[in-house]
Amino acid sequence: MEKNAAVNAEAVDVDGAAVGEAALPQKKQRKPINQQKLQDNLWGWIFCLPLIVGTVWFVFICLVAAILLSFTDYSVMDGSMFGFLGEMGEHIYTTSEGVVEPFHWYTYAFTHTIKISPAIEMNEMGVYLFNTVFYMIGIPIGMILAMFFAVCMTRDIPGANVFRVIYYFPCVASTVSIVYTFRLMFNQEGVINQLFGLNINWINTTGAASLTWNSLTGGSSTSAFMIDPFWCQGFFSKLVIIIMSVWKGLGGTIILYIAGLSGVNAATKEAAQIDGANGWQIFWKVTMPDLYPTIFYNIVTAVIGGMQIYAEPELLKAQDPMLSGYVALIWATGMNDITARPSQGAAYGMILAVMIILLTLVQFYLDSKNKD
Amino acid sequence: MTDNIVNEVEVEEKKYSPIRYAWGAFLAFFGISSATHRASKKRKKLVGDIVCYIVLLFGAFLSVYPFWWMVAAGFADTSNTAIGTTILNRLVWWPSQSTLDPGYTHGAFYNYSQFMTKTFQNVFARLTFWRALVNNLIYSIVPVVIGVITSASAAFSFAKIQWYGRDFIFFILLAAIMVPGACIMTAQFSMYQVLGWRDNGLCLIIPGIFGSIMTAFFIRQFLYGLPTSIIEAAKIDGAGYFRIFCGFILPLAMPAIMAQGLLSFMGCWNNYMGSYIFIPQNSLAVNLPHALSVFDKNVTSIEGGYGVVLAGAVFCVLPVMILFACFQRTIISSLMLTGSKE
Repeated sequence: MEKNAAVNAEAVDVDGAAVGEAALPQKKQRKPINQQKLQDNLWGWIFCLPLIVGTVWFVFICLVAAILLSFTDYSVMDGSMFGFLGEMGEHIYTTSEGVVEPFHWYTYAFTHTIKISPAIEMNEMGVYLFNTVFYMIGIPIGMILAMFFAVCMTRDIPGANVFRVIYYFPCVASTVSIVYTFRLMFNQEGVINQLFGLNINWINTTGAASLTWNSLTGGSSTSAFMIDPFWCQGFFSKLVIIIMSVWKGLGGTIILYIAGLSGVNAATKEAAQIDGANGWQIFWKVTMPDLYPTIFYNIVTAVIGGMQIYAEPELLKAQDPMLSGYVALIWATGMNDITARPSQGAAYGMILAVMIILLTLVQFYLDSKNKD
Repeated sequence: MTDNIVNEVEVEEKKYSPIRYAWGAFLAFFGISSATHRASKKRKKLVGDIVCYIVLLFGAFLSVYPFWWMVAAGFADTSNTAIGTTILNRLVWWPSQSTLDPGYTHGAFYNYSQFMTKTFQNVFARLTFWRALVNNLIYSIVPVVIGVITSASAAFSFAKIQWYGRDFIFFILLAAIMVPGACIMTAQFSMYQVLGWRDNGLCLIIPGIFGSIMTAFFIRQFLYGLPTSIIEAAKIDGAGYFRIFCGFILPLAMPAIMAQGLLSFMGCWNNYMGSYIFIPQNSLAVNLPHALSVFDKNVTSIEGGYGVVLAGAVFCVLPVMILFACFQRTIISSLMLTGSKE
């Protein structure tokens, strides 16, 4: 910005000089170059301006506002957010006893507990975080399946392109439609249970009943490992969401792998073949190392996306601590209605941001270690 | 020593065992080489292809089946609520009582017409399918068309114009990609509330028309492939940058712009989360997927039962499916180039 202003000022100087140049023609040769530079700078900034404005407005200002909000006690009913933040000094979170606690929402997030069943009381954020991480089981499953299909599709067989298109269909379909279809298909008397001869209550719709192993399967297990623990609460509903997200995400991953596989050096493969390597060895020793960047990219984006899972559990069963991902917590505390506290949601959002950054850094660290 | 001899005897016995010989022949028939028979390369490839086809067909079946189920359920006659759920539960290939049955009086597309004519029973407003459809078209056409052009202009300036601060701005935009959307959601929500963009749906339009960074980066990558000499020639002939952008860059980058536009159109059409988070539940400005979820919550009060919800689901999916089927070559090749999934 400053640099450009300086350049503009310089250009104005040149223009000013141009006025006087009629009298002094010997200085003329500098002018055309600067004119071109001025044009470049002017139009470069003009063409880029909408994107810069949009990014600064909807990302950076919002990011700063979110960070500031998380130390205050703002609700939408307090009026304009910008006015509120403008006099932020007066609005830092204060308890009813008058103690100033800027980190109130953060301590709240780490200490607030909820009852998830008559016997179990847990940290609320921990519950939602557990669900989010549980859904990430789908990432490795999806990646292995996608790799398998992608290898099949890159064989020299006619009609491989048709399969590519068919596998991508679930990716373009609306999440809402798919969730409503799966919800009916996974009914207790529904298609899936019929086809596989199961009697699993995949989606417990009563809500009030505790979602234990026994109530879901109709079994009578007495093992404490199966009835009480937290991990099997709503287990089958989570499985439905994992199945659904794997099914929905498969096509995109397959296409990435096909792009990666077509970039594998064919000459190396052939050389390995001549040296007597079989298909299995070629895949692990030649193809996989070349494919590594694609896989790494895939894992990083999948983890970032997986941390932000929201719509699927929300549509399957609205705002259920057994099922919802972490983002549902931000929604529920920050913006579900007019009395909600965006400050609290912003604090949860900042915690999520830190977690995503840490996860990504860990992945890059493991990646760099792997390369040595 | 004795061990060795025994081993050799065993090996010799194995070599001439007729069962082993037959097994080798059997394996060779399926393209697997063994000690006794060597499978031909052609046979090996043929068997591999057949196995691949079976696997791929099975996977393709799994990909398509839920869609088939959705369409079939859209034709299920669930208007009798007592047996409606049972019909949907028993549905594997085709509903036992469908609107296509010869004796059915309301017409074959009864569920679809119910979805199109009934109000969605929004708490205060009377939301209809047509209103939601128009909303969704506005949300997915206006921001996408304008946004792709602004992204392309930014891409042009990054790829072909030298200006001070370019690398710095590029770095800033890269940093913006790394901010997870969910983390700044509440601040955006509060800001839209202040600006009054929530009830009228502007919050789904205005952020989009400023363009998207990923789109700009992709088009920039594409523009690097275009020769700069075209622009130089145009400049020498006296064209300004605006003229160059409209007359050369937009037409030449059309494949990239089209692909990115189609992808963002699909993203906006399916944007349930944006509508659900920012637009109040009782507003008339909700988009089609959100309206479908509103409809689903009130389904018991609407004649036709769950079959109507599934008909609505088909309505949500159909336009993007048709679009994808028409432009699949452009879209998939662009996906393979960028490496992004959406």
